[in-house]
Amino acid sequence: MGAFAAYTIIGLGLGGIFSLAALGIVLIYRTTGVLNFAHGAMGMFSTFVAWQVFYGWSHPFWPTWLATLLAVLAGLIFAAVMGLFLEFAVFRWVRTREPVVKAVITIGVLLALQSAASLIWKNNQYHLPIYLAPQQATFQLAGVPIGANYIVIVIMALGLAFGLGAFLRYTSFGRSMRAVSDSPTSASLWGVPVNKVSAVSWMLGSLVAALAGILITPFINFDTTSLTLLIIDALAAALIGGLVSLPLTVLGGFLLGLLETYPTIWIQSLGFPRLVALLVIIAVLIMRNPRGFAVASK
Amino acid sequence: MTSRLMFRVLAALVAFTVLARIPVGFDVGFKFDSALAVIWAFGLLSLVLLTGYVGQISLCQATFAGVGAYATGLMVAGFHTDYLVAVGVGVAAAFTLGVIVGIPALRLRGITLAIVTLGIALVFDRYVFQDHAFEWFTGGTAGWRVDRATMFGLQMDSSKHLMSAYIVLLALFCVVALLMVNLHDSGAGRRLRAIRDSELSAATMGVNLTRYKLLAFGMSAAIAGLGGSFYPLVAGSVSPQPFWLFTSLQFAAIAVLMGVRYVPAAALGGVFMAVVPDVLTRFGHGTFMGHAYEISYDWFQIAVGVLLIVQLIALPDGVWGDLRARVRHARSAAGAIGGRKVKVA
Repeated sequence: MGAFAAYTIIGLGLGGIFSLAALGIVLIYRTTGVLNFAHGAMGMFSTFVAWQVFYGWSHPFWPTWLATLLAVLAGLIFAAVMGLFLEFAVFRWVRTREPVVKAVITIGVLLALQSAASLIWKNNQYHLPIYLAPQQATFQLAGVPIGANYIVIVIMALGLAFGLGAFLRYTSFGRSMRAVSDSPTSASLWGVPVNKVSAVSWMLGSLVAALAGILITPFINFDTTSLTLLIIDALAAALIGGLVSLPLTVLGGFLLGLLETYPTIWIQSLGFPRLVALLVIIAVLIMRNPRGFAVASK
Repeated sequence: MTSRLMFRVLAALVAFTVLARIPVGFDVGFKFDSALAVIWAFGLLSLVLLTGYVGQISLCQATFAGVGAYATGLMVAGFHTDYLVAVGVGVAAAFTLGVIVGIPALRLRGITLAIVTLGIALVFDRYVFQDHAFEWFTGGTAGWRVDRATMFGLQMDSSKHLMSAYIVLLALFCVVALLMVNLHDSGAGRRLRAIRDSELSAATMGVNLTRYKLLAFGMSAAIAGLGGSFYPLVAGSVSPQPFWLFTSLQFAAIAVLMGVRYVPAAALGGVFMAVVPDVLTRFGHGTFMGHAYEISYDWFQIAVGVLLIVQLIALPDGVWGDLRARVRHARSAAGAIGGRKVKVA
């Protein structure tokens, strides 16, 4: 029973990260119609920037909290700039093209980012985590110890989902974003600044990806590929939310995290969770009417 | 035989004779590259069929090639069969997997199909090709070693007979490419292209969607698997690395970059994909104006990504498609002066 509870907590932590990664995908997909296969690669690159600041450039006499703060800030600022750059340099020019063409372009972004990262940071495996909460801090819940970092992740995933949801629903800029997601043409006729909306969604999406990447560092031995390949889990979670709904996406992320963690009690295989993700994707796509992906067919 | 078909057969023969001679003077490394170029060209050709003709997106073509390679390795190293038999088994295995992958594709299209095929590529890359549970198929972490191989009763193993393997591969490629070009205008090809343009109208006109989509996936996987099943012969062993997810993504990127609707673009892409990284790792280091520099393999993938983005923004029909359009334009402009008849296709 204790083991089961421990696995549940690991699964929820992992699920929180999937949710965060998926939130960025859904956000970008809704407002710009781009299904971003490079989402994992973008998060990976920002994570490595944060990692570089934390372990490469920090002064050993700095207190840990300062180094952590600077690293996270550097990663997030880099992510925001990268998101804006991609929108200005690439996706602004293909706004009217088919969704498939835009998705193939993100594959180009993925390949370029992944190789650039492996050029800079080599193909080494790193296990040098950045902890947002003190590593040793734990809470006891019904006799089960819960690491503070897990709680940070879960709270951040839930907070961002509802925060983004409220932002889209109640602010005027959020209304513009929803208008653009319904129809860019009519939104622009009503005076919605379509370019600005899409720039902001790329920035936000990239920020959320960076956050997910930084938060996952305590969980895995990460290298440039494994963080890039987080995309498949994120896509599975996003598909559970129908590529539209933020709360369902977060729920899907947690569900997927649990589904991928429980089999590791019996099956010691690094690749098996990928099979779980694939089965979830196929199940979701078969059970949902394809027309349910209203934006997908647009 | 129509004159058009004769011209195509002649073109394929000329291409074969010229290409078969090219690697003769070079060292083993370049001979290996040229054989690899044909293997990758098969992978790109499979995308010409699937994406260019039928309009289905796939991000797991390297998986099909890998299944072909592993099945062939299993037959040759495990059961000591003739290499030709093993290739048949490899192609059959790839075809079967292709049809299985095609089943979800019956209901999906566009980006949802891209997600599923990406997932399949990842599962094979990280799980099937690397896990203990599939060691009977993959030969464990060391993979299958193919030291001796016979085909038509001739010795064909990679260490001494790389050129003969290359020539067999090239001949097969020319035949398959010719068949692909002819498929384009045949009845079946027209049905496939009708599916690409609109599934609904194709079904209305009596095209059996289930049959043709599954067939397209199966044939495409078989073409990729045919290339892949020669990999053990050329490289001497099979390992997961050449068939991992990023090769699948590179296939998709390079096929689109070169022009996904054109058969010759696949050959061009195969050469690009095999030769450029090798040239980079060989000659990409030295000193320039007193500064040591090193251009590693990673720059190839960066270039592929950036070129793909630029191409999709600027030349939507790919490098080959754009060249072809320019040549046709120039020819028709020249022909207009001479009063050349316009043929309505």
